Amino acid sequence: MRIKRTILFLCAALSLATAAEVRPPAQVTAGTAFSIATTGGGDAAFYLIGPASVVKRQAKLGADIKVEADEVKVAGRYVAIACGSDGCSSAPFYVVAGEPARVSFLLHPSRVPVTARNAINGTAFVFDKFRNPVLRPVTVDFKVGPKVGSPFTKSVKAVQGVAWMQMSPTPKEGPVKVIATLAGNEEPRVIQQVASDACNLRIRAQRTSKGVLVETDPVKDCSGNAVPDGTVVSFTIAGEKGRTTVDAPIKKGVARVELPITGRATISVASGVVIGNEIRL
Amino acid sequence: MKQLFKAFRGMRRSAILTLLLFTGLCSYAPMLFRALRADSLPQVKLNADSIAPRSIEDLTGRNVTRDYAYAWRDLAHALEANRTDLLNDYFTGFAKDKLTQRIADQKKTGVTVRYVDHGHNVKAFFYAPDGGEMQLIDNAQLEIQVLDGGKVIHQETLTEPYVVLMTPGADRWFVRSLDAFSNK
Repeated sequence: MRIKRTILFLCAALSLATAAEVRPPAQVTAGTAFSIATTGGGDAAFYLIGPASVVKRQAKLGADIKVEADEVKVAGRYVAIACGSDGCSSAPFYVVAGEPARVSFLLHPSRVPVTARNAINGTAFVFDKFRNPVLRPVTVDFKVGPKVGSPFTKSVKAVQGVAWMQMSPTPKEGPVKVIATLAGNEEPRVIQQVASDACNLRIRAQRTSKGVLVETDPVKDCSGNAVPDGTVVSFTIAGEKGRTTVDAPIKKGVARVELPITGRATISVASGVVIGNEIRL
Repeated sequence: MKQLFKAFRGMRRSAILTLLLFTGLCSYAPMLFRALRADSLPQVKLNADSIAPRSIEDLTGRNVTRDYAYAWRDLAHALEANRTDLLNDYFTGFAKDKLTQRIADQKKTGVTVRYVDHGHNVKAFFYAPDGGEMQLIDNAQLEIQVLDGGKVIHQETLTEPYVVLMTPGADRWFVRSLDAFSNK
């Protein structure tokens, strides 16, 4: 009888000495209300320490502690702590991002020559509706719509919340729309494709009362895109008085210059790194 | 005899002085250690062997390592002292917003969090072709203490994985997002 009483006393003492426990679920989805089970009894201060929040309130040990959806909107590691009369106990748990709902999309550069290989790159960051990065693999579709030609799609699986793609420009100049698409959410961006360097640069000359009028054929790149107005074309004149270079911008697709040449001369043309034909007068 | 007495008195005086000095040092030791710790940077080891699609330049690697260490130093100071101004130098975007909100909550509840930083093993895995973003996985070794009104209510030592997004500014790299995740 005495032994029985001693064992009972020891058990009671042990249960009193053991601090209350908090038992949150191992993992919770962001923005979802849930309950944390507790053991023990009496009043306690309950704390919830998260990546973007600190909550403190009174709670009853032995009953479930309700955590509101608003208190766990941010994904990350949380620690639930309950401090009662016999000390504090704590347990960590993770809040994970919800379903992918948003995409942040960066597209570079904003202007690109049509011949620049792999010059377009897009990076998409995947988020849930609370702006938590979604780290599990999800597929992001990059829909490319050129001005001329049929649209196409590149599908990329995101790794740790990032999907990226690289592509070469389409052959024709003009705006190209790239849309990052994820779960019905679309982020469009526009990139301007411009003509590349001039190709088959040709000039012709004509004597006038003031000298010689030299002008180019319409200046185009190798894909047939008109080189933009304002691009500088250099005319070099090697004559009896020496060598002179005159720069002229392209206007309405053509570069034109009037040179005061009276005698014999050789005229050549260049634009950037491209050299055109030569004319002897 | 007189000389012996004098020597004894001298010895007693130096013993008392030593004792006072020792007591003083002991009482100021925590402050001294905290001050030393505050100035020291956390250790950051960066591994960029499997970074893609762009490789990382040496100087960029050094700058990212340095700035990430500064960011963690500032984070620990800001959370311990409840000072949001300490987040201005190396945090931006979501990371800064979240920490600012947390400090506001700390002030409201009287809870503070103390980090003792034991170093970071950082693996860089994404560097955008235009150099505009870098993503890292950090296995941070931390000692965390949660205090309410100066009383420790929770204490743990852990290795915590973080996914980090850093973006370059004019003269430094900023932590744009810093999210702990479960790798189980």
